[in-house]
This record gives sequence, structure tokens and C-alpha cells, in this order.
Amino acid sequence: MSAKNKSKDDIEVLQEKLQSIKGREEIIGYILRGPNSASIDLKDPTRIVDYAILSATAFEEGQNISAMFEIGEVDSIITEGEDTKIMSMVVNDHCLSIFMEKNVDHDKLCKNLNLT
Amino acid sequence: MNKDAYAVALRNALTEIKNICPDVSRSFIFGKDRQIVSGDSETDEETMEKMISSFQSVAEKADTIGSLKAFYVNGKEGKVILSDVNDMYLALAASENADTTYLHSITRVIIVTVLKLLETITSTPTPPIPPQSAPSKQLVVDTLSGFFVGDSVQIDTELLEEWARFLRESVSEVEVEAFGGEATLCKVKEINDSKLKGKGMIRIPEKICKTLEVKKGELVTVKPAST
Repeated sequence: MSAKNKSKDDIEVLQEKLQSIKGREEIIGYILRGPNSASIDLKDPTRIVDYAILSATAFEEGQNISAMFEIGEVDSIITEGEDTKIMSMVVNDHCLSIFMEKNVDHDKLCKNLNLT
Repeated sequence: MNKDAYAVALRNALTEIKNICPDVSRSFIFGKDRQIVSGDSETDEETMEKMISSFQSVAEKADTIGSLKAFYVNGKEGKVILSDVNDMYLALAASENADTTYLHSITRVIIVTVLKLLETITSTPTPPIPPQSAPSKQLVVDTLSGFFVGDSVQIDTELLEEWARFLRESVSEVEVEAFGGEATLCKVKEINDSKLKGKGMIRIPEKICKTLEVKKGELVTVKPAST
């Protein structure tokens, strides 16, 4: 199997897992953005644009901050608001942002999704 | 408390955080107005400004999640933590193994305590220093009689000069109080009889002696008026 196909399979597996968790009450949704496509699944579709912009900004500024403080390749970015937080990370060249309630254990979620 | 003292206090707090948490390599604090409040010696101002700019970019878009409370960037060789602390933002750079929860707890306790202490100090009004009054003197009464005595009392030049130095102004009126409680304000001049100078006396016109109910040889208390 080529590396490209394997990567595609990994993303498909990830999407399946994301589908399995999005039904949980504390999960608001996710954005999975690849080089050629994007999957967006949010409980409140009216917020797609706002969440997409925030997700992209978090990625961009996370990279900038990493360079500023020389902390190496970014593993994850957590953006916390009043009641909501976003966990953002790069998975096989795809930018994944999962939106959830603030009290969610995002480290555990990462493990459940095999993202660590 | 002036701004510099505020910054010094917070810088000391940041130093203590680094002492307690050696994983922390750099730290600084900035306000909601995006102005740097205080920082450690390891972080140059340019880096702080860039960090604030990055923070601002994210914060502007974060209304959708109810304003930005914290921003964590976890790298393979370290992590950067930006968190809201009492209407300010604390930025920390730490090693990749730093315990974020522990760091959060320690920094919040120290910074919040220092900020509350600073608020208490700046809001407690300094009690006004009561104005110092010139010391009063007990002087022996000598009566002045005759048509041309006027209504001024006379006391030693040295005493008038002493009071003038204390009050930084010349003394033109004194309060004379008898032991019986009667008091009166009088104009004052220097004793003009050389034989009576330097004897701790006050020469009082007879009519004023009657007002005060004092006689020659009795003691009265004298002090500059309005002290």
C-alpha cells in the first residue's frame, strides 16, 4: 500500500471516529481541513464561518508562537473561551479542530481518537 | 502606587514563579489594553510585542466561544501558555514536560494574591499628617499700665523668632490662656524694656489682665494664634 493510500485510510478512520464522538452532548463538532477538501460537522451550522475563521487563526498563530519561543513542531493548540474550547492539531497533513465544552478532558479524547 | 512600583512587584512575582517552577523559562504580563505590564529579563520586548499581536489576532475571532480565556501551544520541545488572570494576561514559556495544571494553580495563586495586595495598598488612603502646632510657653505675667500701652502684649524677641522659624512666618498675634480657662487673642510685640528681656515674662495691658482674670506674677500659657 502506498504512503498516500495509507494516509487516506488513516483520515477515513479518523473521520469515522469523529462521527462516533460528535453525538456526545459535550462535543459541539469538528472541522477537518485537508489540502483538497474539508469536512465540517457542527451542531450549530450558523457558526460554521466563525468557527472556521477561529480555527484557522488558532493554527496560524500557534505556528507563529512556536517559532517565537522555539518550542519545535506544534503538537496541539488549545483555545479556551468562556464555556467552549477548541483542540486543534495536524493529523496527516490535515488540520483538525474539535469544538467541545470546556470541561471535557481533551487529553483523554485525544487518546480515544488515537491522536496521541 | 506608581506604575513602576506596580511593575516591580509583578516582576518579583514572576521571578518567584520561576523559582518555584524551574520548568518555566520565560514569562511576562500584559493588560487588556495590550500594554506590557511586567516581564522577566529573559524575554525581550520585541518577542512580547509579537506575542501580544498573536494573542490579539486570536482574541478578535474568539467572541464566538465567549472571549478568549486561555491559549495553549504545545510543541515537541516546549509549550507556551497564555491565560487570563484578573483582567490581565499571563504568558509563560515552559519545557514540554511542564505540568500545565500545576503551573496554572501556582501562577494564579501568586499573581492574584499580588494583584489583590497591590489593589489594597493603592485603595487605602494615606492618613493625613496632622499639622504640627508651635509649642506653647508658660510665661510670667507683668502688667502694662498707662494711657499709651495699647492692646498688644509683649514677649521676648527670642521666643517670637523661635515661633517664626517653626511656622515659617512672623507672629503678629498670640493666644493667651489663663489657668482659670479664660483665653483671648492679642496682638504681640517684642519686649521693649531691656531689663525685662530674657526673663520668661509676658507684659499684658491691665485691661486684658482683667479679661483673663490674671495678676502680675501669675503664669499664663501663650502660643501663636491659629496653631
